Amino acid sequence: MSAAGRLRDTRSIIVVSGVLVVVVLALPQVLDAFWTRRITLWIPLALAALGLNLLTGYNGQISVGHGALYGVGAYSTALILNEWKWPQLAAIAASAVICFVAGVAVGLPALRIKGLYLALVTLAVATLFPQVLEQFSGTTGGSAGLAITNQEMNRRGVLADRAIRVEAPTWTGLADDQWAYYVFLAVAALCFLVVRNLVRSRVGRSMIAIRDNEVAAEVSGVNVAIVKVLTFGVSAALAGVGGAIFAILQARVSSGSFTLVASLYFLVAVVVGGSASIAGPAIGAVAIGLFQDVVTPALPESVTPWDLNAKAATPLILGTMLILLMLAAPGGIVGSARQLRARLAVRAQRPADGPIPTPTTGGTP
Amino acid sequence: MSELLQYVFIGLGNGAVYAMVGLGLVVIYRSTGLLNFAQGELAMFATFGVWTLHEAGLPIWLALLGGMAIGFAIGAIVHQVVVRPVGDPHQKPLAVVIVTIGLFLGFNALAQLIWGTNEKEFATLFGNSEVDVLGTLVDWQKLGALGILAAEALVFWVIFQKTKVGLGMRAVASNPESSALVGIPVTRILMIGWGLAVSVGAVAGAVWAPTPGLSSNLMQLPLIYGFAAITLGGFDSFVGAVVGGLFVGVLTDVVPRYVDAFEKMTLAPAFLVILVVLLVRPQGIFGRKVVSRV
Repeated sequence: MSAAGRLRDTRSIIVVSGVLVVVVLALPQVLDAFWTRRITLWIPLALAALGLNLLTGYNGQISVGHGALYGVGAYSTALILNEWKWPQLAAIAASAVICFVAGVAVGLPALRIKGLYLALVTLAVATLFPQVLEQFSGTTGGSAGLAITNQEMNRRGVLADRAIRVEAPTWTGLADDQWAYYVFLAVAALCFLVVRNLVRSRVGRSMIAIRDNEVAAEVSGVNVAIVKVLTFGVSAALAGVGGAIFAILQARVSSGSFTLVASLYFLVAVVVGGSASIAGPAIGAVAIGLFQDVVTPALPESVTPWDLNAKAATPLILGTMLILLMLAAPGGIVGSARQLRARLAVRAQRPADGPIPTPTTGGTP
Repeated sequence: MSELLQYVFIGLGNGAVYAMVGLGLVVIYRSTGLLNFAQGELAMFATFGVWTLHEAGLPIWLALLGGMAIGFAIGAIVHQVVVRPVGDPHQKPLAVVIVTIGLFLGFNALAQLIWGTNEKEFATLFGNSEVDVLGTLVDWQKLGALGILAAEALVFWVIFQKTKVGLGMRAVASNPESSALVGIPVTRILMIGWGLAVSVGAVAGAVWAPTPGLSSNLMQLPLIYGFAAITLGGFDSFVGAVVGGLFVGVLTDVVPRYVDAFEKMTLAPAFLVILVVLLVRPQGIFGRKVVSRV
């Protein structure tokens, strides 16, 4: 690509990201409180997908069980807030640490169990997790759930339990929902930045080398065991941050939120957005969020003449999309966009009747 | 003592279902080399086929045969349309996992779309009466499940050892390229393998469905138990699937009754089986050890 073309490319990327940032920041101002709360709930989904993408997309370790780690983060936050009354951001950070340790613990056996078999073990973990919550319902509240509360003075001057919420400081002039959106968006942005820098570092290159050929990576001097276990830990920590934010936003955790299907949706977000890309998990989370919150409520409960339950169409579409993407565009939305851009660049550059230059960017990673 | 015996019989009856799920998984693992995470949902879908035929007035046994045929067709089509284009599972494990999970989500949703989310009552194949075995009352349904499992094991043995299709399956499992070169229709053989797997799944679903009631979540737990069974028995061993299934069945029905720590975690023993076997002896009890060269 010519220097001018590259400059134009960089410029267009800056313009597009600038517009995106403005839109993302303006959303709570435009949307009402209900929709602000809805889209805030997409943030934890994006974080969990980010963590899963680091593990599966960049490092090639398949996990179908990230819903369980997400749940560990959520329950850690709930218990820390209930028992110790820590500040919310401190509870999120502590949950990240707890999940990091849990991730390392899962990552150790994963050194011996690989590929399809790791997927099997994590599938079993995801199915088992709700049962574990039931078993320890004394602590976790089981399927009835556990409310996250704070003791507060009510209007009559009596101390009473009250569901926690994210309170906007008065100087901001924002509503609580808007403030929550901005705070958690900032946390998420920080996490995305950390992952972006991580995958571009030496460790990140080791992760990718292990995914592409473990033996070759080991021969080239990569400490495979340490990199794999650390990746598992960081991935779990990110899922944990997601779970923690989810718990705070809901002010309640219950076993129904951490089923196998939750884990599968993280995987869907990664694949649909584009595995092994930074923006992919966010795009995938938005796609799933749109389906769950916008498309599904609009579908009818029953379609005549066959009395079809159209509410179930969303997972059907997602499942079909998953298969079609794997067969046609394994790079997901981000990968397809990259390919498209490379193709357009080639076309723009081709002189009339001249030879076709080979594209220098794009392709699936 | 008789209480324990009762749990053992319940465990064996449920274990027969897990063994049938396991048989389907083994057929697919041997022919296409992948762990089919959608096996449970495909079986559930075929079980809804059985239910629909029975509702339409067919006797339950005929409906079961019809459901098996539906299952066979679904399996064959899924292999042709979805699984075959993806490629070698051990070269691209992620793609295979994603595709089977897409099937999982898709078939689960499709069942809800067509049959709704309410649980359906499902007729028992062997009635609701009990029989006295060694001084313990046991449901005919549980004994019947063991009988069906035995019949299935026999049919599998005959198919794989005595027929030309079975010979082809064994050849394809051992080396697809060479099989194609000597004129075995590899694709057709794989289609038959997938069809067989889902029709066994339909039987498993029909035997299992009366206990929890028929819903789109019917086979999610039996799938994990079936996987535990073949992990223990060996991913490529039919004998292993049967032995493993019965063992896992007894384990998951007896342990939670006597160990308080597992009271509500009926999956925990199965999970530990999967984890420990994969860590210590990945080929299972009856499986063949895979030697990989660099």
